Amino acid sequence: MRSILDLTSSRANGVRMSGAVLLAMVACLCACSRSQGNEPIKIGVIGEESSVAGASLTKAALLAAEDINANGGVNGRRVQVITYDNHSSAAEGVRAFQRAVSEDKVVAVVGSYLSEVALAIEPWSARTRVPFITPGASSNDIPKRVHDDYEHNKYTFQGTTMSEHIAQSICDFSHDVLVKQFRLRKAVVMSEDAAWTTPLDARYLECLPKAGLEVLDHIRFNPDTTDFTPIFNQIERQHPDVIITGISHVGVQPTVQWHDQQVPIPLAGQSSQATNGTFWKDTNGAAEGVITRNTGAPGVALTPKTIAFVNAYIQRYGLPPAYCGYTSYDMVHVIAEAIKRAGSTDPDKLVDALEKTDYVGTSGREQFYGRDEPFTHALKYGPGLVTGVHLQWQNGKQVAIWPADKANAKVEFPAFVKFPKQASTK
Amino acid sequence: MVGLQILIDGFAISALYALGAVGFTLIFGVSGVLNLAHGGIMVVAALIGWFTAGELGAGTYGGSLLGILAGLVCAYATYLLVVRPIQRSRAIPHEESEIFVLTGTLLWGIMIQTALAYKFTDNPVTMRPLFSGVVNIAGVRTPRNEIMIAVVCWLVIGLLWLLVNRTRAGKTLLAASMNPRGLTLLGFELSRVHLLVWSIYGLLAGLAGVLLASFLGVGPNNTGQLTASAFSIVVVGGMGSVSGSLLAAYLVGYLETMTAYLVAPTLRPIPALLLLVLVVYVRPQGLLGRR
Amino acid sequence: MRRLLRSRPLWIALVVIGVASVLPVWLSAYVLGVLTAGYYFGVFSMAWDLLFGFAGEVNFGPTFLIGLGAYTAAILNSRFGLAIPLCVIAGVTVALIGGLLLALPALRLRGPYFGLVTLVAVLLLQNAVVIFAGVTGGEIGMTVPDVLSLSAATNYWYGLIFLVICAIILFGLSRSSMGLILQASGQDPIEAQALGFNVTKHKLMAFSISAVFSGMAGAMLVFYMGAASVGTLIDISIGVQIIIAAVLGGRRSILGAALGAVFLIAAGEVLRPLGQLNTFVVSALALAVILFFPDGLLGHTLRRREAK
Repeated sequence: MRSILDLTSSRANGVRMSGAVLLAMVACLCACSRSQGNEPIKIGVIGEESSVAGASLTKAALLAAEDINANGGVNGRRVQVITYDNHSSAAEGVRAFQRAVSEDKVVAVVGSYLSEVALAIEPWSARTRVPFITPGASSNDIPKRVHDDYEHNKYTFQGTTMSEHIAQSICDFSHDVLVKQFRLRKAVVMSEDAAWTTPLDARYLECLPKAGLEVLDHIRFNPDTTDFTPIFNQIERQHPDVIITGISHVGVQPTVQWHDQQVPIPLAGQSSQATNGTFWKDTNGAAEGVITRNTGAPGVALTPKTIAFVNAYIQRYGLPPAYCGYTSYDMVHVIAEAIKRAGSTDPDKLVDALEKTDYVGTSGREQFYGRDEPFTHALKYGPGLVTGVHLQWQNGKQVAIWPADKANAKVEFPAFVKFPKQASTK
Repeated sequence: MVGLQILIDGFAISALYALGAVGFTLIFGVSGVLNLAHGGIMVVAALIGWFTAGELGAGTYGGSLLGILAGLVCAYATYLLVVRPIQRSRAIPHEESEIFVLTGTLLWGIMIQTALAYKFTDNPVTMRPLFSGVVNIAGVRTPRNEIMIAVVCWLVIGLLWLLVNRTRAGKTLLAASMNPRGLTLLGFELSRVHLLVWSIYGLLAGLAGVLLASFLGVGPNNTGQLTASAFSIVVVGGMGSVSGSLLAAYLVGYLETMTAYLVAPTLRPIPALLLLVLVVYVRPQGLLGRR
Repeated sequence: MRRLLRSRPLWIALVVIGVASVLPVWLSAYVLGVLTAGYYFGVFSMAWDLLFGFAGEVNFGPTFLIGLGAYTAAILNSRFGLAIPLCVIAGVTVALIGGLLLALPALRLRGPYFGLVTLVAVLLLQNAVVIFAGVTGGEIGMTVPDVLSLSAATNYWYGLIFLVICAIILFGLSRSSMGLILQASGQDPIEAQALGFNVTKHKLMAFSISAVFSGMAGAMLVFYMGAASVGTLIDISIGVQIIIAAVLGGRRSILGAALGAVFLIAAGEVLRPLGQLNTFVVSALALAVILFFPDGLLGHTLRRREAK
């Protein structure tokens, strides 16, 4: 019967189609396996391509690989960076990690600036025993887990300043500039509800009073918020002298609304989007006067390598690197150095070598805390190591305002920002 | 003071909601289409507006106009490339065409969102306000831009009312929404009516997008939220009813603002959703909708 | 005739399953992972097709049921450390309850309103997950400590067996007398009622079955991935993909939905090198399918067969 044949041939077509797809995949795999020889060292880099910070991560890593290869590679072998996009999702980050490890056979993974994603990948790094360094996720939990279960989690490293230390840096800045220079007394903490801000806020509440700022209120808002008017209103009603922020997922919208509504209170703290070179354009200049901590600032030579890196990045990609661009670049180098010292890419040897890292990168001198310290494998913080700078947007440019030895401008606020009577303006 | 703040803030945001919702409901009422690419059209207008204003140097006015135009073009694309082919397709049985249109517009919306994120990254952008600075209204500091937005929204809604109730073209639209077959019997070209309504919709959505960009800021990630918001308001107000949408927009706008100010900003979307659930269970045709 | 009809497709199905079971011998862990995800998706799509094809109800929020099952299981496992089977059962139960709560009022509505209600349900769940981010991990997601297995091959077989069992049950249901009654209720409810069938009761049953399978597959998927997030389980775009898969494979054929799902997932992976644009291309392809081949792969032939 013609109809039966149609049915079966269509069913067979369906089978043939899926069979063909599968065969193609198998063929691809066979073709892809090469013989041993001068195989490149593969490093997987997982970023969030549709976000400015996440895209910077992968771009900087690619630049780092080029630099390493231009200088002879690692023990004669090329470094190959394979990039993945996790679409800002923890589940996709995990998938990308699994793909990097099992399909592309990378020796290490550099990944993500989102703490939620890094925390999701950490157990897989442990399960697959593949070293994983996050150049941008600052949650305290990442190194804490390494400390709590060293044998399993030792493959994870945090290549960026931890939330707690970010907060401490901001408190130190507040003490030097906001309290001593401007004589401000009261603050409100305003943070997005995310994994990285929980330890950040905890430390804020602890160290801001010690720096001289009384914390009047602590607001945590939904990262999906688009209308910040009620929040600014709530803050203004308490008459603080400064708003200390902890924002990364949002940035453009609260800043623009702060400016448009002429909220008379200055913004300081950590605003990750404000660290992007494109922030001025994105906010149509509303960024004027916004202060944020960052890994680096334009024109500030944190180390002899900083300015060269920034220029090379701008020349290649047309815009300055985001904060995790600096650290991603450094971490690829750190991995390459570790492989050189270990003389192999074996995971355990690599971990040993990584622990002994003492590398001067673009953001400072990089070392990791050891097994006996509470935050194992976090980036060490302190003078002479990675300290970060505070910058402020003035007239379309980011200028460094703290610490004093790195500052290249004075702090200035827009006219609508009003200070209490006891404060001085200079 | 808080009360007056709520009143003013709520008014502006509700006006913006109303603009978006009115377009959405018009399309449903006249064309029978639930356009799930609505948010996409708004975001296209916003991003093109920002891009031309800043990068291409057209300035705020030029950028806004170009943005609205982009919204119009996008609406046409939605109609001509997605909706009309599905409605006219012979392979799809008539009872199922609504579902296919819904799915089709949803897919189209996703395509718009990913294309925009690819070109512009998912960072939200803002347009420079047409009027900067603040005004003091009885002790409440209000940005001039906010007032302007509310005024523009109501002007446009007023123009729309005039169009629908006083002009011939508008009355044809009304008739088409009530009885399309009757209209064809009278000799009207339905396809022209559809083109007209999609044009109006494109302008409305484009304007809403551009205004939203200058008031709060917009990015490709907001696409879904904007569609969901317009959709919720239209359901509460009654699908196809313009006055229903207006009413619902203000209801939802004020509920949200009050929650954000008096309860907690985090819980802002909750009352609107609860209202939606209530309406769907108790009166599914909406407050002012026809069954 | 009947015997011929039944045995040919059966043999083909057996061959397909046979080939699928031995694939782990050749394919890499990652490719197996892709197929495994495709198999779970296949269950989602089949469950949707049962509801649509046979109860005539277009469910725009299959991810409401999936999300309920998945997040219940994930939260119970990560907060209370319950064992996987318990979590899955709990997930199924919550999905069933949620499905019934949704269906009872929704089935009273006709036309676009039913679809609306299902869409609203998804929005509600999505917002609830984001607002209670402390418990659910919010938008970026949460991880679970337990996974089904670390071996890709084992996971693959779990997925394949799950798909086959669900396919047998759902296909069997669709061809059973209950299935016929459902089909009648879906395509002509007035006549079906006139013939004495309790249309509402049967539709409710279809909804419950859909809920149970969706919830179960959702929970299993969480333990396969080791993570749950709004973007992979609840987002409207996931619901759309499920519907597309079913349409692609052929509406009302159940098995076509499974085929469509695997195909869609595989296509997404094959297009991965496009990076960000891969969602765009998959959506564009899906749109093209809707516009030009609305009957899908199997549906086209089934229709021709029925016409003879």
